Parts: sequence; C-alpha cells; structure tokens
Amino acid sequence: MTHYRPNGIFRRFGLSVLAVAFTALAAGAAQKVPISFDDYHGYPATAKYLKDVAAAYPQITVLLEIGQSTMGRPIYVLVVSNMKTGTTVDAQVPLRNPRAEGVKNVTPMKPYMGKPGQWICGATHGNEYTGTEVCLYAIDKLVTGYGADKETTALVDAKTFYICPIVNPDGVFNSLDKGISQRQNSMLRDDDGDGRVNEDGPDDLNGDGLIAQFRYKDPKGGFVVDGADPRLMVRLRPNEKTEKERWSVVVEDKDNDGDKRRGEDPEAGIDLNRNFPEGWWNDQGFAGGSGDYPTSAPESRAVAEFFVTHPNIFMAQFYHTSGGFTFRPLGTAPPTRLDPKDVAVLDLVMGKKYLETIGEDVPAAWKNPAAIPALREELRKTSKNKYAIERGYELPRGWMVSYDELNDRRYGFGMTTDWDFLELGIWSITTELWNPAVDIPGLPRVAGSEGVEGDDERPEARYALDRALLKFQDEKYGGKLFLNWKPFKHPELGEGEIGGWIPRYSSNAWPGEPLVGVCDKHYRFEMFRAGLLPDVVIGEAKARLLYTSENAREATAVAAGSEVRIKKGGAKGKYRIVEVTAVVENKGPLATHTARGSTLRGNREDVVWLVGERGKVTFLQGTPYQRLGVLDGAMRIPGTGGGGAGGGMRSGGPGAPTEESMTPPPQFQRRGGPPGPTQVRQGGARREVRWLVAVEGDSPLKIVVSSQKGGTKSETVKVQ
Amino acid sequence: MKTKWAIILTVLLAGSLVAQSKLQTNPGGYHGELDYPMSWKRYYGYDEWTKIMRELQKKYPQLADIQSIGKSRMGRDQLLLTITAKATGKPEDKRAMWVDGAIHGNEVNGITCSLYLAWYLLTRYEYDPFAHELVDSTTFYVLPGLNVDANDSYVSFPNTENNPREPYRPTDDDGDGLFDEDQTEDVDGDGELSMMYIEDPAGESKLSPDKRRFVRVADPREEVRRFRRVGAEGFDNDGDGLINEDDIGGPDPNRNFPYGWSVAEGYPYPMSEAETRNVLEFQLRRSNIFASFHYHNTGRLIMFQAPPALRPPAGQTPGSAQAGPRMQQTVQQRLEELRKTDKYAYLADRQVAPEYQHDLDVQNEIVSAGARILKDYTPTIGGLSGQAHAATYYMFGAYSYLIELWGDPAFEADVDGDGEVSDEEFMKWIDLELMGDGWVLPHKAKHPDLGEVWIGGTSRKHIGRTPPARYIETEALRNANFVMYAAGQFPKVEFGEVKVTPATDDLFWVEVEVKNDKAYPTSSDRAVALKRAVMDKITVSGAGGAAVVELPKAVTAVDALNRAASSETVSAKGTEFRLKGHETKKFCVLVRMSGAEGTVEFTVKSKMGGTALRKITLKAE
Repeated sequence: MTHYRPNGIFRRFGLSVLAVAFTALAAGAAQKVPISFDDYHGYPATAKYLKDVAAAYPQITVLLEIGQSTMGRPIYVLVVSNMKTGTTVDAQVPLRNPRAEGVKNVTPMKPYMGKPGQWICGATHGNEYTGTEVCLYAIDKLVTGYGADKETTALVDAKTFYICPIVNPDGVFNSLDKGISQRQNSMLRDDDGDGRVNEDGPDDLNGDGLIAQFRYKDPKGGFVVDGADPRLMVRLRPNEKTEKERWSVVVEDKDNDGDKRRGEDPEAGIDLNRNFPEGWWNDQGFAGGSGDYPTSAPESRAVAEFFVTHPNIFMAQFYHTSGGFTFRPLGTAPPTRLDPKDVAVLDLVMGKKYLETIGEDVPAAWKNPAAIPALREELRKTSKNKYAIERGYELPRGWMVSYDELNDRRYGFGMTTDWDFLELGIWSITTELWNPAVDIPGLPRVAGSEGVEGDDERPEARYALDRALLKFQDEKYGGKLFLNWKPFKHPELGEGEIGGWIPRYSSNAWPGEPLVGVCDKHYRFEMFRAGLLPDVVIGEAKARLLYTSENAREATAVAAGSEVRIKKGGAKGKYRIVEVTAVVENKGPLATHTARGSTLRGNREDVVWLVGERGKVTFLQGTPYQRLGVLDGAMRIPGTGGGGAGGGMRSGGPGAPTEESMTPPPQFQRRGGPPGPTQVRQGGARREVRWLVAVEGDSPLKIVVSSQKGGTKSETVKVQ
Repeated sequence: MKTKWAIILTVLLAGSLVAQSKLQTNPGGYHGELDYPMSWKRYYGYDEWTKIMRELQKKYPQLADIQSIGKSRMGRDQLLLTITAKATGKPEDKRAMWVDGAIHGNEVNGITCSLYLAWYLLTRYEYDPFAHELVDSTTFYVLPGLNVDANDSYVSFPNTENNPREPYRPTDDDGDGLFDEDQTEDVDGDGELSMMYIEDPAGESKLSPDKRRFVRVADPREEVRRFRRVGAEGFDNDGDGLINEDDIGGPDPNRNFPYGWSVAEGYPYPMSEAETRNVLEFQLRRSNIFASFHYHNTGRLIMFQAPPALRPPAGQTPGSAQAGPRMQQTVQQRLEELRKTDKYAYLADRQVAPEYQHDLDVQNEIVSAGARILKDYTPTIGGLSGQAHAATYYMFGAYSYLIELWGDPAFEADVDGDGEVSDEEFMKWIDLELMGDGWVLPHKAKHPDLGEVWIGGTSRKHIGRTPPARYIETEALRNANFVMYAAGQFPKVEFGEVKVTPATDDLFWVEVEVKNDKAYPTSSDRAVALKRAVMDKITVSGAGGAAVVELPKAVTAVDALNRAASSETVSAKGTEFRLKGHETKKFCVLVRMSGAEGTVEFTVKSKMGGTALRKITLKAE
C-alpha cells in the first residue's frame, strides 16, 4: 500500500479567506485551463496542468520533456512564446554540397530559439515547492494575459520563457504525495552498505498520512516545551542549563531493517544544487559538491543539457525556499571573479527593483551611484568586509550573496546559479521565496522577525514569530497547519507524542492569499527582468543600385608583362552592382552578453548575414557574414560611467590551459586560405554595416542579424 | 626438559591448478594465433571491429563477456569485452586493467591496439603460461572504440588525418550562428581528403622538382608557376566565403572528464557527451579497476599520471645541503647515473608529498620498463585538464597511462641522423619502405565554388597520425606487451619465510613474512588519500594443540636483542595493512601449545593482491 493521495482532496482548504485569491485571478482574461492556489499542486497535478495548457494554447506554448528523474518521472519545461514569430539563422541560410556521409547530428532550430530566452524554475529541492507555484502562476498569467494585456502580449511575442516548475520530480512527489519531506533527488543507492537499496526511510508510524515529529522525554534531550505555547518546542543552546523537563524531537520514523538505525537508507539521494560544474571540487582536489561528479544526477544533467542546447537563455531564476530574499552570484567564489559592470547590473538594476518589489529599503549607493566614492570612505571606517568596501556598499538582506565575504569562505560547492553565471554568462539568480513575517497578510507584526528564517543568531525573534504563526493558523487556517501532539508508543523509543508543524506547510508559502501574494510579487519581478533582455533589430536597411549591365559576359584576364589580355566568355545576362547598408541596433536595455559571458567559449559575437542566391551574388566588399562584437544595451548602466557590457568579445577566460596539450589545433585551416569574416568595430548599441555585391539577374537579397541572446531577425532588402 | 617441536609447513596454493591443455614451452612454437585468424594489416570500421569482438567472445565464452556500456550520440553501441578466466572467479572480484582505444575519433590505431590485446590474451590463453596466469588472476576491460561515431567515420570515409576527432555534438565553431554546417568533402571523389591549391600568380607555393609536393617559393623573384593554398578538400557549404570552417565535432572528449575540467577547455560541461559519460559511469561501478591504458595518436609518448606536484620547502631544492640524501642529487644527475646501465631508465622530475612518494616511484619503474618494451617511446607526465586518465588516477586512485601511439617515422626515415625527418627523407621513406604507397599526387579537379583547383601533395590518411597498415601489428604487439607487463606487475600477496621462536615454556612466537614482489602496491597512495583503498588484512587461527594468544595490535621484537627485525602482532580481529611494491612485512603471533600437535593458519586477504594461506603444523617430538 503506497501513501499516494491525490492532491487537493484531503487537503483542500474551504476557507473564505482564500476566495480572494480566486477572484483576483479570474479578473483577467478567461482561463481556458483554470488554476487555483488553495494548495500546492505537487508533481501529478503540475504535469497535468502543463499538458492541459500546452493543449489549450498551441499558438503560444509547447511542452518539452527535457529528461527523466531517477524514478522515471519526466522533467517538463513549458516553452511560452508566440510560435508564429521568430526565426533562426539555419532557417535563413541555405546549405549546399553536403558531405556524402550524411551524418544527421544537427536538428533544425525552433523559431523560439531565435528570441531572447528566460528560464524560470522551481523545486530543485523537492521540499521547496513554493517555486513550483510561482512557475504555474507565471504560466497562467502569461497565457491568459496574451492578447488581453499589452505588456504580456509583447513579451510573449518577442521573448521565450522556459518554465520548469519542477526540476526534481521525485523529491516533490515524495514530499507532497508521500508526505516524506525530501530536499534531494531520489537515488537507487545503498547508503548503509547492507546490500539493500532504500530500505530504511522515514515512516508514518501512526497511520495518519503524515510524517511529522516524534517527541519524547529524554534527560539528554536538546528541547524544552515553550512556556507561552506548550505546542512549540524550544531548542536549547549548546550547554544551556534548564530547570524544565528535557525532550528529544526526531522525525517520525522507525528502524525498518533491524540494524538499530532509523532512516539511514532513504530514497533521498543527492542535493541537486550541489551537483553542477562550477566550484564543485574543493581546493585540495577532492569532491566538494554532491554526487560522484558534476551533473551525475539525471535531473542536473537534464538542466545542464537544456541550457547548453538553448543558448538563447539569458535570464535564469532558480526558486528555492525560504527567507524572502535573493541570492545573486556568487556563492562558490569571492566577488573578485565578477566584472564590476556585471555587478552594477545585478545590484543597481535588478537588486534595486527586487528590494522595491519586496518592500525593503534600497541602499543609498544604489539610489545615488555618484555617492559611491564617498560611501566607500565611510565604509572603510565601519565595515570589516573588504569586498563591501571595494564595492562601496554592503549587500542588503533582501539581495545578497551566499559567499561569506567577511570570512572569505564559500557557501557550498557546485551550485546552479554560479554555474549559469560563470560558465554560461547568464543573468542567473536564486530567490529564496517566503518570508512568513511579511508575506502573510494580517499577521500581527513581530518585532525583529523580518528575515528571521534560518537566522540562528536571533532565536527569541524566531520563537516569537512561531508563536504568532501558530496563533494565526489556529484562527485563519482552522489549525490545519499544525498537528497537535498525540501520545504514541514508539517501537524503539517508547512513550512519547507525535505532532508538530506539518512539514508540508512548514517551510513553504502558506496556501491561499499568502501564496498568491508571493507568486504575484515574484512574477512581476521576473517580468521586469524579461523587459531587460536585449532586442537586436535591423534598421534603415537599404540596397542602392550603383551600376547595371544588361548583358554581362564572363571574362578572364591574363597578364603577360605589362600587357593584360582579356578573354570574353559566355553571356551572363543582367548584372547589378549594389551597395547594401543597414543599421543593426540593440533596442533592449541590456547588452547582448554579460561582461563575463563575452569571455566564454560557448558564446559568440552578434553577427549579420547578407544572404543571396548561391552563385548569383558575388561579394565585392564585406564578407557574407560580418562579426559585430557584443552590442551594448540601450540602458545606461548606473555607476559604471558608461554603457553596458562593452563592445567586443574578450578572449580567454580565467582558466588558462595548464599542462600538456598533445593535440593539434582544430582542423579548420585558415593558413593560406581566405581571410575570416569582416569584423565591424564600432562601440555602443549600434553597428552600421555595409556590403558591395554584384548580383546576377533579379536575385533577392536578405539581411539576417543574429545575436545568440539578443534574437535573430531577417529582412528582405529591395534594390532601389 | 623442553619438548622439541618440529615445524611442518603446509602450503596451500591459491589459484588455478587446471592443466593448461596446449602449453607451449618453446617461444618458436605455435601459440594459438590461428585459432582465430585475423589480419593485423588493416583498420576496421565499426561493423567489422564489433563483429570481431562478438566472434571472439563466442569462441572463448569461458574467458570473455561482451556488453554495451551505452550508446553514442548517433546511437551506436559502445561494445566492451571483459576478459578473465571465469573458472577462477567473477570478473568483478578480480583486480582489473582498463584499456580503451580511440577516444579521439581519428586516432583509430587505438582500436587495433586494444583489439589486439584482447585477441592476444584469448588466443594464447591455452598455449602461453604468461597469458594464462594473467587471464586467471586479472580482469581486462577492453573498449576498442570509445568514440564510435567518429571512429567509424574516420576508417570508413575520406578524412584528413585530423578529423573527425570529437563526438558529434553540434557546435558552432565559427560563431556564425550555424552548427556543423561547413564540413570537409572529398571534392575529387578519390577516397582521400587531401589539400586544395589554386593557381595564383601571387601564391606562396610551387610544385617541388619531383612534382609530388607543393613547396614554398623561397625566392620571391623566382619566375615559376605559383599556387595558393586553400586548405583541406571541401566546399563552401554555407556561402560565407570560407571552406570547412565549421566541421563536425563538438567538445574534445579528452577534456570532458571531471578531474581538472575547465569551461575554457572543456565546454560545455563535464561528462556532457554520452560516449565519455558511459565510460565513467561504468568505471564508477567497478571498484576493482587497478590501472588503465588509454590509446591516442600520435607522438610515441607514455603519458602517465603522477601524484600532485609539491613545491619544495625553502632551502630544500634538490642538491641543497638541507635536502635529504635522496635529494642530494638532482633528478637529472640521478637519471644520468641510472642510464649508464639502462638507457630506458626514467625518473619524473617532480617533487611530491611523502604520502605520494610511492606512487611516483612505482610509476618511474613501470614507465621505464614501458620505454624499453615500446623502444622509441618517451615517458612524460600526463595532463590534468579533464583527461580520461586524469579521472582514473585522481578520482579512482588507479594508475593510468595515456599512450600516444606511432608518430614521426624518425626511427626509420631519419637517415642522416639529425633527429628530424626532412621532406626529402619522408619521400624516400614512402618510396623505399612503403613501396610508394600512401601519397596523393597533385592533380587538377573541378570545384563548384572555386573553379579549377589542384588537389594533392599530401600523404594519404593512414600515414602521419595513424601508422600505415604494415606497421599496425608491430605497434599493437609492443603495446599489448606493455599492458601485459603492467598487469603482470599488479600486486600479489604471498607468504615468505616462517620462523618459530620459543618464548617461554609452552609459548612460541610464530612469525611469517607477507610479501609483494610486484612493482605495484596493493593500493595506490592516491586511493588511500581518496579513502577508496581497501586495506589488506591478515588473520590467524590455531587448531589442535595450538592456541593463538590474543594480543593487541602492536609492533613486537621477537628477538629482544634485534629490535630492527621486529614484526607486527596479528590481533584477534585481524590486522590491517598495506603492502607497497616490492615490500615484505613480518607478522607474528604468540602460540600456546597444549597437545602433541597443532596447526596455526594465517590468511591474507587483499582486494587487489589476492588471497594467500599459510598453514603451519607444530609437532612435539
């Protein structure tokens, strides 16, 4: 008998307070696929919703399965973008004379891959499914807003959203459908080396469908009962003395395999957010991150492969819980790995907006970048953080890095956000959703409790908040978020009680109004970020006729001393000499690469092609495709004294080749061959491009501009 | 009066006692090659080499298993042979040698070398005591083609000697937004991918006097028919005015492994390719892999993995007064000394931490022997930037070797002995040693983008990077020998001398030597550092009138006057230890004799070094 229980049947809240959420949602356009946020969806309902949306909105969505979890559950990404707009270079440039071997390793690109992309995902950690709900909320807003709301329509037409509500299907399934809170993925691994796999995980001892806590009196226990609310357990500090009775609190669990240990071989596998390549090894050359090697888990590999095969992704959000703040890069390395231009975009553009979104104070330096030198001098006196002094500001609680700047210690190894930012050049962030102290409308304010989540320094505020939350759920949630302690005789630990915060709700945004509020705030912030994406366009495209010949002939010229003999060949018909000019411009706020990204091997310059009929167009000046470098954005990046991420691709990342390289350079042989493509060297967001071509007959000409992260556009030019 | 005790040693032989049915003692005899005859004078495409593998397995089912470790990007199975005598134990229970060939698609010499090893071991098993012993005691995992898609293409289709090299992940090499859109093509359809030239009065090349090569025009005033080099044969597929600028092939598979991986060299991410991931996943599940060989072309190098380099503490540079006796000479001085008696001797010029010194010593010994077996190969320390052999040593603690097979035929073609092969010497080599085989003469051809072109002036495919057919077997035989030599040096735990010393009254010290006469230790220093090493263990039991007195594990001097000859007591639960290469350890127990006769039985179990038993019978006279 499994613990499978369809979501929303046992757990639906029939509370009036939640009706608000319904109405708010229904106020927009009609929902072809209704969705509500009165409880978490979990894996099966999320998968169904995604399929339903993809079926109902084929013009603007497509559902992709990017991989499967260990237990065989598909990992879905819903692509939201107008499927009728957008183009890619391979659709515009015809190829001929293919190699006879005919290897079919390249699949045609999808039109949506020719638009700037934004990745939004939830539940990399299985028990942090608030992010899943934000993803579903975003999908709902995008599909229902398309055609109804002007801004949404523009975004869906011009950008591509890759939304992956559940990165870790097994973790979410176990957390919500089996009631076993599971941060990690699932692995078929014999953790305790007894020859059996996953034979001893947590257990629902009293058969109430929940895996809660078991507390029992224990002279060596580390907890006492709270004086104000006896349902709460208060953890003693190390060596703290107490007159009260001591308790131990453990997960509801028993020894399933008779080895005198509980929960030593659960289905839980590894932390996926420690399984990515960047900073996975420790400084001594041994594994620091999780798994046997970076991307060893099927889920992390699916994500890595998706990013690499969708190089148009330029924004990324990895939702986690909880705390109500955002980790911007970096966590595995000191800030010296960041380019100051990237930092300015992260903090003064995105960070500022995020703080405004969650209602926190914006640092003075961000409001007035001109004051940074003076603020830096101030910090020299007050701060011990050398990196903060260098920047000119401390990072605020709502927008921080996980790297421990004070002690120069990394937070972890192999995290997604650092990988995305440092190795792919993507504006990636991790938002820790849910700050109960501020995200619950109507919750009485508890002094000093903002951001108290996970803060071991302020236990008093934490318990004060817990008391307030307990009281609030008594009144507004009918007490359904907390399981009152009930006596239970544990087969190994003896008499005690089962109860406590129900894990389902204990570290995720509470369903209903609080959840909708969290979703909406973060949806709006991500749409703000989508609006920052570059947008490379072709302007002022002209084809000016310089010369026409109605009956051109082939000719050869042979030099003999000072005499050149011209031999005329066959007739070629009409010929025209045409000058093609255009302005390529990035109209989006941000440059087409991050400063970091412009140094990376997987990224390319923006390019522009002039495509004509093969054999009928001869390029006299300017090569068929021209390299444009990196186009700056339209936005003036505050605090950098200039434009965006700079004009060109910079070669060489920080990791220069170390030892031997017995391999010759790649096959591509330029030596003695024709020179490479024309390099257009102009700064800023605009590039004036030019070709001089000889065109046979009325062969058409087409300009194709392609930016890896700024989109691909094509425009046919008429000869004037 | 003390009772006199006679000691009778009963030796239990571990391992196979099965008679070798067709044993040949004469090196001139028949060693089974024709039991499965095959030609070593050619290269095999995917269908052929996998057919050979299947047939070999079918012919020798008692010695070989075949399996696919996974599929390549284009869906080909990566077939692996597991070779070991099943009668003496399961493959996973024996220490193993991993051998892979051709991680780089074009380096197909590795396929023939690894296939040859498999064939050699299987066909000779019944005839050759050395092969027999190896196949009994050791498992060989042999993956002839690792990068199967590119391997097959290289053998079966016209290619330059440099391509295809990588797995087939679509990649935009030229940054134009298109993926693998401009590949090489055999323009003239002659089955070879040679070099294209265009006649051009401003060109930098001319035909050589023998009209077989294009050579540079040395004197710019020379009036001669000139040519401009275009590059390898191919068309401008995408119309960008460039030819072959975005050939097939993604990341370098030998920069794709996790250890030392960097995004600059290894983009997109570690283990991104199915072909390499399948290998690592297989290896992760085999904790018995003790050493590995990885075949590449070209350069005649033995690139072995050495332990991490250590910067010597200040004032302890080699030769300085503070340095220990070992350091009194520089590596170069010591090497010169060694080479007076062995011209193949090698010493790595690297300082390592004491806990890694044995690994370095072992590698020096193994690759010195390798240099001798392979003759014209040079040992050198391998790279640490995502190579397969970096992962095997640094992640698994397995001793690893990357062999750069073949290379410049200097040993034969360099007739003036200047250490280099000039163009003239090379052509002479083609004429005299290859009987003219292997050259593309310059000739005219039509090109759809360029008009009239000249193609040729280069060697054919299997000349430079991979050896011409006639050299394949020599290369394969020597390399198989090196692998077998290395496997033959895998640790073997054995008992040596036994000594019984009366202690007092009815108590006797029984001392045994446990030794490993091979070059390799029972686990590498790196495996110890990784905590992957499984320690060797000695246990003891007494029977009959002999009872083992329980003592805690400690160093004991049986002869109080000779503490240098001390040994370690075997504790009741057994004593754990590690045997280095060429090391002997002594263990002792205190035995109480009560009856007329008793036995003491020692057992040593070593994951990599096998099991040994020694039974000692004590009799009262």
